[in-house]
Amino acid sequence: MNNRLPITEIWVYLSGSPLLALILTLTAYQIGFYLYQKSQRNPLANPVAIAVLVVATTLWLMDMPYDKYFEGAQFVHFLLGTATVSLAVPIYRGISGLKGRAFPLLLALLCGGATSIMSAVIIARFFSADPAIVGALMSKSVTAPIAMGVAERIGASPTLTAVFAVATGILGAILARFVLDGLKITAWWQRGFAIGVAAHGIGTSRAFSVHPEAGGYASLAMGLHGILGAVVIPLIAGYFTIH
Amino acid sequence: MIAGLVQILLWQGAGELVSHFAFPSIPGPVIGLMLLLGFLSVRGTIPQSMALVADSFSQHLGLLFVPAATGVILFLPQLRQHALAIMAALVGSVVLTIAVTALVLRATTRDPHE
Repeated sequence: MNNRLPITEIWVYLSGSPLLALILTLTAYQIGFYLYQKSQRNPLANPVAIAVLVVATTLWLMDMPYDKYFEGAQFVHFLLGTATVSLAVPIYRGISGLKGRAFPLLLALLCGGATSIMSAVIIARFFSADPAIVGALMSKSVTAPIAMGVAERIGASPTLTAVFAVATGILGAILARFVLDGLKITAWWQRGFAIGVAAHGIGTSRAFSVHPEAGGYASLAMGLHGILGAVVIPLIAGYFTIH
Repeated sequence: MIAGLVQILLWQGAGELVSHFAFPSIPGPVIGLMLLLGFLSVRGTIPQSMALVADSFSQHLGLLFVPAATGVILFLPQLRQHALAIMAALVGSVVLTIAVTALVLRATTRDPHE
């Protein structure tokens, strides 16, 4: 008879608990990951980008404010820190597999890391982007979980940083081949390391699908860039805000 | 698996403490990462349960930043306003970073295929 009331009640109850946000987040990611695998791991079908699109559309359709969604989804968000600590494992594996290449790799990492920050800041300022955007661009080549922690410390938006990091990863995964072929870089370890420094996790996953040696070096580069970025970017950001 | 998770959480806790009291500019989890890396180098091997946890995290790392990245809906006007600057900075920076890193590697290695 009166069917509408119970359904509304169930809805009100569900949307007040973290469960709804968690189901939404995980389902959206599941959809993204499924499409990513269906597309033969095409960087354009990035699972995070698809998941964000699905969650954002659902929130809009349900008329649910972002703050309320995040209240529930923060349980997933919290694990970022734990995932960051566990990056020590792939870094350790990468370091123990090095064959006397430590010097070129560290030098390349330093130069690549510096290029990533300086070029982003200079280009964005040239087009007169506002300081909030410039701040969020600084750590975009660092793996997203670390980049977001760094963003918090330098007073930039972790959200914008995460979005720029994902976009950088996608762009890097697509463009790396053309840049490296153009420069005639043929050694897999050099190609992999360059992708890992510039395009962190998304680039690394791309590198693994091309060649295992490239993937291993990309993963090492991503981890080392994460550590370097966390230590150095707050210092550089301080310099940029003073000058 | 639980043993590995507990160990990682403890390193994270240690990292948060060191960050809070000694190096406030570095995020706690990154210090936890460095401490764990030191521990693994001293130990010489990776505990199996820890490897299991770390591998599941790294396989689906992307899932964890979906909640924060969805916040992009709050920034849409700003992103639209600065779209050109952002695209130019992202594309320019990633191309230059790949090129510089690769060129430095080539310049500092005698035989790359050795």
